[in-house]
Amino acid sequence: MKRTPPVTPKLLLGAESLLGFTRAPRERLLQVVARFREPESLAVTFSKAIQLGADGVLASPSRVLGDALSELRHTVPVYALLPNVPEYVRDSAEHGLAGTAMKRVARAGLGARARLAWTGLTRAGGVLRSDFAALVPLLLELESAPFRPAEMRGVVLAAPITDLALSGKHRTFFETIVRFVRHRFRAAAAFQTHNLGHLLSAFAEWGVRPDFVVGPVNPRGLMMKPTPASVEAELARTEIPVLAKELRAGGAVPLVDGARYALEHGAKGLVPDLVDVEDLAVEFKELNRALNPTAATE
Amino acid sequence: MGVEIVGPGRTTLVDAPRPLRPIRVAVIGLGKMGVAHTAVLATVPDVELVGLSDHHAPLGRSVRGLGHSAPFFDNPVKLIDRTKPEAVFICTQPDAHRSLAETALEAGAAVFVEKPLAQNLAEAEALAATVARHGKPAACGYNLAFVPIFAAAQHALRTGVLGNVQQARASMYLSQTFGPRKGWMYDPARSGGGVVTNVSSHLLFLLRWMVGMPVEVRATGSRFFGQVEDEVHVMMRLESGAEVGFESSWSVSGYPYSAVVIEFEGLNGKMLVSNDGLELDLALAQGDWPAGHSELREADLPQPARFDVNGESYYLQDAAFLHWATGGAEPPNTVAAALEVQRVIDAIYRSAGDNGATIVVKP
Repeated sequence: MKRTPPVTPKLLLGAESLLGFTRAPRERLLQVVARFREPESLAVTFSKAIQLGADGVLASPSRVLGDALSELRHTVPVYALLPNVPEYVRDSAEHGLAGTAMKRVARAGLGARARLAWTGLTRAGGVLRSDFAALVPLLLELESAPFRPAEMRGVVLAAPITDLALSGKHRTFFETIVRFVRHRFRAAAAFQTHNLGHLLSAFAEWGVRPDFVVGPVNPRGLMMKPTPASVEAELARTEIPVLAKELRAGGAVPLVDGARYALEHGAKGLVPDLVDVEDLAVEFKELNRALNPTAATE
Repeated sequence: MGVEIVGPGRTTLVDAPRPLRPIRVAVIGLGKMGVAHTAVLATVPDVELVGLSDHHAPLGRSVRGLGHSAPFFDNPVKLIDRTKPEAVFICTQPDAHRSLAETALEAGAAVFVEKPLAQNLAEAEALAATVARHGKPAACGYNLAFVPIFAAAQHALRTGVLGNVQQARASMYLSQTFGPRKGWMYDPARSGGGVVTNVSSHLLFLLRWMVGMPVEVRATGSRFFGQVEDEVHVMMRLESGAEVGFESSWSVSGYPYSAVVIEFEGLNGKMLVSNDGLELDLALAQGDWPAGHSELREADLPQPARFDVNGESYYLQDAAFLHWATGGAEPPNTVAAALEVQRVIDAIYRSAGDNGATIVVKP
């Protein structure tokens, strides 16, 4: 079956902060976590974001997310940020990486286990060699199990994993993940990174073309590696759509200013996180205006 | 760039350090920290990763599976013998640090040892003595010295912006341990202790770096789930007479990542520094700082690391050590500094074991 290329999202509401991973001030993080402790509240926010023009949410599997998605009467497009790295790191400190994986296998349903077995069998050689390119598809199978196929529009590999493979200059890994995600999930294949300049440069050299990349872009240069200037240069020359995150530079600039800066410097889309948004209705209207300047003037 | 960040008057972390010449580097211990250092080292200019080692062969396969092609050895002695590294990163559990560091130093390599320096003071002293005998650069993984906001706070304190510090209060929390857990970190014979050794030794390093060594401590600790302490309350007295209080726990909710807060009161005013930023209240202008209230956030400071692995600090720490190992300036996290931290840890455990008795920190 010929694959229809997925449409690149332009505006995603990020929920990474619910895992505790954010550069926003701790006080703000606690406010957000408290506000969205109840799945109903998260469900309403997701629903509102979609009504206000978001193309979906970027979120990792978690209990609160699962409960929120099942609260909704209609499907919210999900771009799954996989794996849930903080949970994985916490578990692996006690059980080791293999033990952590086995724990997830044990709690997976029958269907997920069957898919896992098939994915493992088709990559047996690489799995036995502990090749990341063979192991990560297994991890994606396990971690994507909580999402319904109808809601999953893309798989975004989380930055800690992307950046480990980037440090090893593992070209085959990136090629494999793009192929695997498109074929297995019929969804967009994307990478989140905290080393955007390095990743775009490597993709240009290797000819790797994911559907999009998510990385930090903001007027303070926070987390723009190797340097803000080189990230801007790579943004200018890349053909891969980049969705900008860390727009507020840890709370140092207003969301709309961060968004304008990112778009002016070559980002094709935006991923404001829950911690970045003070007033969803007002700010998403502004973000849409920044994303579609011609529509706004008509 | 859209906005100017603050200049060198407020921080020493302005440029990324780098080795002064090409250098051959090996990594021993391929758990979480070993993988992080391997990833960083692969991105530092002029570093050649010549070998990787772990007694557990599957971990070696995992790191090679990430794309790192350096030869793997399940025996660290063979690694050093065959690959002749000029610098060795030792990322094993603490009870293996001393013997591995000795092997590397005997072979003529500079050594970087993950924190804490060792599982107890006797081992740490023996390791530091070996380092002194060989005269090679040797550092310990107290990476908070390379977090821009803490470096800016230390710079302000050490340049006298706050005047003599009269008292300080500090805390470090992490949500990690909520029941009996397995692994070397929870085995006192291997790790040396609980939250103090494994988490808040970072805070003790920062306090020593910012205001100097305590001369005596009083401490109480609590064990909730196993053989090591999960929570600690400490009062320390500096030579100046200033009192420094700190508390730490890895059994509190709401801290998915470790969080440090330190408040200082000095003759010129107050400073609050945390992972979020720095706030300074001064009666009169001091150096680059105006009178009144000032704030610095992470985004206001230079972010010189060239590759992000869980933030700025790991890259800057590793590059600074290799800068030193190739003839450059000494970084703050030397083994000598780490030995002093170990002396404070030892005093805390002795005090906690004696119902909070005052214990003199070994000079």
